[in-house]
Amino acid sequence: MSSNSSEHRSAADQPVAGPSRRSLLRVLGAAGVGAAAVGALSACAPGSSAAPKALGSVAPSQAKGSTTLWFKDDDILKVFRGVVPSFTKKYPAVTVNLVGVDIDKKLAPALISGAGVPDGAYLGDGSVLGQAEHLTDLTSQMAKYRADTVQYKLDVNTDGQRLVGIPWDTDPGLLYYREDILSAAKVDPTQLTSYDALLDAAREIKGRNPKAQPIPLEQDPDLAMQWLMMLVNQQQGTGMVDSAGKLTIDTDAFRTALTWIKKVADEGLGARSKFASTAQIAQADGGTVSLVPWAIWYNFLVQGTFKKSVGHWRAAQLPAWTTGGARSGVMGGSSFVIPAKAANPDLAWLFYEHAVYSAEGYQAVFGSNSVYPNGLNTALPSVKSALNPQNSLFKPLAGLGNENLWEVGTQASLAIPPGYRIPTWFNQADAYLGANLQKLMDGKMSVDAVIKQSVSAIQTNLVDRA
Amino acid sequence: MANLTWNTRAPQSAQQDSPPARRVRGRRPGSGGSRARQERWWGLALISPFLLIFAAFTAYPLVYALELSFSDWHGAGVLRWVGWSNYSYLLTNGDFWASLGNTGVMWLLIVPVQTLGAVAVASLLTRSRLRFKKTLRTVVILPYVTPLAAMAQAFVLLFDDHFGAVDRVLTALGGPNIGWLTTTTWAKPAIALFVIWKTSGFALIIMLAAVQGITPEVYEAASLDGAGPVRTFFSVTVPLVRPAVGFFVVISTLGISQMFLEPFMITQGGPYNSSTTSGMYLYNHIRASDLGTGAANSFLLVVLVLLLSLAAVRVLRSRED
Repeated sequence: MSSNSSEHRSAADQPVAGPSRRSLLRVLGAAGVGAAAVGALSACAPGSSAAPKALGSVAPSQAKGSTTLWFKDDDILKVFRGVVPSFTKKYPAVTVNLVGVDIDKKLAPALISGAGVPDGAYLGDGSVLGQAEHLTDLTSQMAKYRADTVQYKLDVNTDGQRLVGIPWDTDPGLLYYREDILSAAKVDPTQLTSYDALLDAAREIKGRNPKAQPIPLEQDPDLAMQWLMMLVNQQQGTGMVDSAGKLTIDTDAFRTALTWIKKVADEGLGARSKFASTAQIAQADGGTVSLVPWAIWYNFLVQGTFKKSVGHWRAAQLPAWTTGGARSGVMGGSSFVIPAKAANPDLAWLFYEHAVYSAEGYQAVFGSNSVYPNGLNTALPSVKSALNPQNSLFKPLAGLGNENLWEVGTQASLAIPPGYRIPTWFNQADAYLGANLQKLMDGKMSVDAVIKQSVSAIQTNLVDRA
Repeated sequence: MANLTWNTRAPQSAQQDSPPARRVRGRRPGSGGSRARQERWWGLALISPFLLIFAAFTAYPLVYALELSFSDWHGAGVLRWVGWSNYSYLLTNGDFWASLGNTGVMWLLIVPVQTLGAVAVASLLTRSRLRFKKTLRTVVILPYVTPLAAMAQAFVLLFDDHFGAVDRVLTALGGPNIGWLTTTTWAKPAIALFVIWKTSGFALIIMLAAVQGITPEVYEAASLDGAGPVRTFFSVTVPLVRPAVGFFVVISTLGISQMFLEPFMITQGGPYNSSTTSGMYLYNHIRASDLGTGAANSFLLVVLVLLLSLAAVRVLRSRED
C-alpha cells in the first residue's frame, strides 16, 4: 500500500481541511468566553438596592391600588384565585393580580436586580432564608398571629430576629399503609406506634410474601434526605442545623434514624425506587410496598396514579421513636414572602393575611373549590385555629377507604416538633449527606461513616463557605 | 499532507495587486487622507452594533466572571475579594477532581467508539452496495435531530432496572438484571451509550463528507494491491479521513468537557455523584449561588479544555507531518 500513499494524500487533502492552531485558538477562545460567561449569570452589580418601602404605611381601611403576587404556575395558583372574590369584597379598592411564574428561576434575579419585583411571592420553605436579606421583615405584622401559627413554620421563616415569611402550609409526616396486606399478615395497624413495631410488621409481611419490600427507601438523594429530616425532626426538633446554624448531624437522633434505615435495607425490607416513578407506582400498587412513612402528600399517588390498590390504603400517625415521643415530623412546606423592594407591600400583606389567617381565606383554599371539588388534601394549613380535627375543610378520600384524613392530618400538623431550621445550603447537602444516605441504603456505608463523612464534607464545603 | 487551514487570507502579493477599495463618489483627487478617515469612521459605525453587543454580552460578562472568580459572592450582598481562594479550594477538592475524572471516563467511553464507528458506518454507506442507503442515513441521523429531553425520557424507561425493556430482554435470555442507571459500575457507560446514540448522527455527517471526498481510484488501487475490506478500511479510509477525525475529536472534547444535560436528565449525577461531570459540578455551584467558585470552576475548565484540544491537534498534526 505504501506505493499509493502519495495518491491517497492528495486525494484526501482536497475535500477536508484541518484546523490550524491559530483558528483553533480562535474557536476555543470563543467557546471559553461562553463557558466562562456561565459563571456570571447576573450581570447586575451586587449590593445595589433601592430604598425599601415601609410596610405598614397604609391603614387597611385606606387600602387601594393594585398588587401583583407571584405563584408557581400550577394548581395552587388556580386555587388562590378562588380567594380573590372574598378579598375584593373586603377591600373593594384593591385589585389583585395573581401571576403564574417560574419562581425558582425568576424571583432571585428580580430580588437582586430590583427590576420587575412583585409585591409578594409564593416560596418553598427551603428557599426563604436564602433570600432573607431581600425580604421584608414581617415581625410586627405577624405578632398577633404568632400564637395561632404552628411553631416550626415560624422557625423556618426566621432569619436571626427577623420573621421574613408568612407561613402557608404544613406538610406533616404520616404512616400510609395497605390495610388489606396488614390484615392478611395479621398485623394490627393500631399497634404500629413505634418504629420497632413498624419493622416487625414489615418482617411479618415479608414472611408471608418473600418478594415484599414493604418500606420504600427513596432513591432520589434530595428527597431521601428530606425523608431523613422528617425522621430526625421527630426526635430532636432540629434537622441538620440548630438555630445558631451549628450542625446537628452527629447526634443520637441521626444515629437512631440511620440505624433503623440500615436495618430496613440489610433485612431486604426496603424497596429502592424514586418517588412517583413508574417503578415506585408499580411497587406500591402491586403490593410490594405496603408501609410508607412519608409526607401527607403521598396521597397524591393514592388519588392520582394507583389503580389496583385504590381504597386499600389508610393513613395513621407516624410511629414514635420513643415511648411518648412525637408522632409527627416535617417533610415540606411553603410560605409567602414580601420583597423589600415591593412597590405595594401593604396590599400584598393584606391579601396574604386574608388568604392564610381568615376563615374565608383558608376555607377557599383547602375546602371544596373549582380546582379540587373535594378540597386540597395534599397539605394542611399552618394556622392552629384552622387545624381543628372536628372541623374538616376537605372531604374524606375514596382512595383511603373514605377515611377521615383531615383528623389524622391535623393532629400530625399540630404535633410537628418545633425548632426545625432549613439552612440556605440545604439542597447542596444532597451531594454529601444525600449521597452517603444512598450508600447506606445500598449497604455500602456504615452509620458511623455516613455521619462522620457527611459532617466533615458539609462543614468544609457548605457551612464554612456559606 | 498539505497544510490546509481555515485561514483564507490572500497572499500579500495578491493584496497589493488587488483593486483599490471602493472609491468615494465626488471626491477630488488628493483628498485621500480625509477619505480614509471618513471610511474608517464609516467602518466603525457599521460594525458598532456588533461591538456593542459583543461588549455587553461577551466581553463584560467575561471580565465580570474573572472578577467573580476571585470573589466570594452568593448573588446578594457585598462582593468580597478572596484572592486565589476559590481556585485553591477547587484544586484541593476531591469532588472537583472526581468530576473531571468522570468526564475523562466519559470521553474514553464515547470518543474512540463514536469516531471509529462513524468512519465505519460512513464508509459502509458510501462505498458498499447496500440498498436503501438514503433511508439508512436518515435513520442514523434521526436521533441527532430528535429533542434530547424526549430521547432521555425514552432512554430512562428503556434502561430502568425494574421494568425497562433492556433488562427484561436480558433476564429473558438468562442474563443478569443490571442497574444501568442506579449503580456506579453502569451509570457512566449508560450515559456514554446515550450520548453515542444521540450524537452519532453529527459524527456521521462529518465522516460522510470526508469519506465521500476520497476518490474511487484510491480504492481501486487498494483493490489491485490485494487489500480486503478490513485492510482497506484501516489503511486507506482511516488515514485519509484523519483531518475530519481531528476536527471531530476536538469538537467532541469541547462538548464532553461541558457535558451537563445528559447526566442531569438520566442519572442526576448519581448514584453517589458517580456520574457528576465537570459541567454538572459547575452547575451545582451556580445552583448553590456560589458564583465565585462557579466562575473559578469555569476558568479552570477553559484552561483544561484549551490544553487538551491543543494537545489533540498537536498529536494529529505530528502524525500528518
